[in-house]
Amino acid sequence: MAQSRFSLDLARPSRQHWLGYFLLAPAVILIAAIIIYPLVISVDLSFQNVGIARLDQPRRPFTTDNYARLFTSPDFWNACWVTLKLILVVTTACFALGLGTALLVNNRFKGRSIARLLVAMPWAVPEVIATVIFAWMFDSSFGLFNWLFITTGLADKPINWFSETGPAFAVVATTMVWKGYPFVSIMILAGLQSIPDDFYAAARVDGANAWQRLVNITLPSLRPVIGVTMILVMLWVFRDFSIIYVLTGGGPLKATQTLSIMTYEQAFSFFRMGYASAIGVVTLVICVIAAKLMMSRAPENL
Amino acid sequence: MMKHFTVRSLGSAAMAGVAAISLTLGASPALAQTKTLKFVSWQKDERGVGDWWASVIKAFEEKNPGVRIEWTKVERGAYADTMTTLFAGGKPPEIVHLASFEFQKFADQGWLEDLGPYIKSANLDLTDWAGQSACVWKGKTVCTMMLYFGNLFAWNEELLKKEGLSVPTNYAEYIAAARKLTKDTNGDNIPDQFGTGHETKGGGGQYLSELMNYTLDAGGRWTNDAGKVTINTPQMIEGLSRWKDVVKNSLTPRDLSAGEVRQMFADGRIAMKLDGPWLYPIIQKGKAKDQIKIGPVPFKPPMGGSSNILGMASEIPADAKKLVWDFIAIATSDTFQTSYATLANSTPPSPRAKTDAAKVTTPHFDMLVDMAKAASKAGVDRIPKGLELNYNEFAKMVMEESQRMIIQDLDPKTVAATMQQKAEAIQKQ
Repeated sequence: MAQSRFSLDLARPSRQHWLGYFLLAPAVILIAAIIIYPLVISVDLSFQNVGIARLDQPRRPFTTDNYARLFTSPDFWNACWVTLKLILVVTTACFALGLGTALLVNNRFKGRSIARLLVAMPWAVPEVIATVIFAWMFDSSFGLFNWLFITTGLADKPINWFSETGPAFAVVATTMVWKGYPFVSIMILAGLQSIPDDFYAAARVDGANAWQRLVNITLPSLRPVIGVTMILVMLWVFRDFSIIYVLTGGGPLKATQTLSIMTYEQAFSFFRMGYASAIGVVTLVICVIAAKLMMSRAPENL
Repeated sequence: MMKHFTVRSLGSAAMAGVAAISLTLGASPALAQTKTLKFVSWQKDERGVGDWWASVIKAFEEKNPGVRIEWTKVERGAYADTMTTLFAGGKPPEIVHLASFEFQKFADQGWLEDLGPYIKSANLDLTDWAGQSACVWKGKTVCTMMLYFGNLFAWNEELLKKEGLSVPTNYAEYIAAARKLTKDTNGDNIPDQFGTGHETKGGGGQYLSELMNYTLDAGGRWTNDAGKVTINTPQMIEGLSRWKDVVKNSLTPRDLSAGEVRQMFADGRIAMKLDGPWLYPIIQKGKAKDQIKIGPVPFKPPMGGSSNILGMASEIPADAKKLVWDFIAIATSDTFQTSYATLANSTPPSPRAKTDAAKVTTPHFDMLVDMAKAASKAGVDRIPKGLELNYNEFAKMVMEESQRMIIQDLDPKTVAATMQQKAEAIQKQ
């Protein structure tokens, strides 16, 4: 009674959950401001014929031209294909390398701590720095890889890593795998350590060899971890910009132009922000569908 | 304890926070008294021209006590998107510095102030101001040109002498020398010395500039004076053939940025280089500086064109506009145009600039002036007439089709026809 009529007693059992909402509100509002608001603006822009977008500009007439143009553009389908190829190559290689290194450093051996550090190191290197290092290593005139290929007889003349379509894709994929596999390795290592030793002991008693233990115990036990990790890696490849932009800028001949590079180019090189927004929206939809498909195939306890 | 929180108490805490922030922000009278003009540039750390901008800022701040220039560097690679974001967000820098191939988009949006009335009121004579005609957009003078350049030719005399070569005076001699000078010097089967050097990686704009050295000498132009696309001509086909010859045969190192190529030349790994006035300060810091000589470009006309512009954001208060004009007036004054020649080692656009002091510090300064004049007389510019608004897209298209010609070994005649068709489509957008 001492409090005014507008006060709200959160101690009342029926209102206890309100405090939770109040405490969550700042985070929710912040997320809405930095994610949902730009998303809504992007969707809105994608339905307008806008060059350089300004928030104080009057809204242009509604049009679906950006989407019509997008779906009939060979560049868009090429970008989809490049993105898909990159996802398949990078995700598969990251999984193989990550699993291999995790299994390796999960064993007890002398120098295991250093080995674990080395496995995780690429993850700690900032992406742009790693990219610049790889750009120099793959340099066509003075790079390490050309010297290595010619010295070992794998090539008889220097490979133009950045001005041939196949090599350029290989450079981008290699850099992404190097940067991405430690994450998979760390996640799988954490998963491996949660598998009870009793499983392996029982399998050994039953006479299972190393391969059988891997296929019948390790991998099934790791499925939830692998599922989440692969989704995260896939989304990282989908949205990654800096590695491709610094290495090849999407070229040559759009051989490394992914959807994110195409979005950037249309928005900031050609100043077609309505069209760029349409690409961004379609990319988001593809990401959501892909993630949903992968989640639906994951086990119940994921 | 938490159960005793009330909406009122949460609200009171929020109000207190807001009040505290307001007080903190309001408690800096010095900040309120100092007016700041924002100036964003990619040239801040560039040796020579960066020093010149610093001297302009110093002179402005001395003339306008209480006004400070906040000078920020943005890398060239991220410049267009940073400036677009600043303008689109309604917070443009008051003093606008842009490349001459990108200001048209900003002018077209109405973001650049018409400088005509200021020029008239200040009696600034822009007659014969190099490249100034490019600053007129839809009948309004939206900027002042800060540099119109002509390429120079630099060569490593020691490398040429070793091969018994004299300095090339035309394309035939140049390409023959480039072939002879490209070699593997350490026997690892990888060429490590190159006849010439061009950027073949990176943005379309730089690629176009490099390629134009050859198309101009062959008599080709992207568009004619009326803005009609003229790529599918025998001259352009010849120019494209020359470019293909140089790049496909790796007479230039491949996949390097312009800065890396310049450094290689300065260090003696490239024998000949066609480039703008900015090459000289890099040569001076290179390992082979004593071996490098500078002379007139063996191609006619030399590659050249407008480089960067200075303008004023249109959506700023009137008092800020006056100050920005004062900054532009200082930068375009005879005194600072004269010091531009000395500090930046470049040709000032003003015809009234005195270049005697520059000739002392830059021995080839007369040649720079001659090359700029030769390029200007021939109407050379990187930005083709009629494609100004779509320059980035056009440059990207030319780069991709040229790369296709080299990668897929296409006939330049077919490539020229494709470029013609695509350029016309870009122009029609």
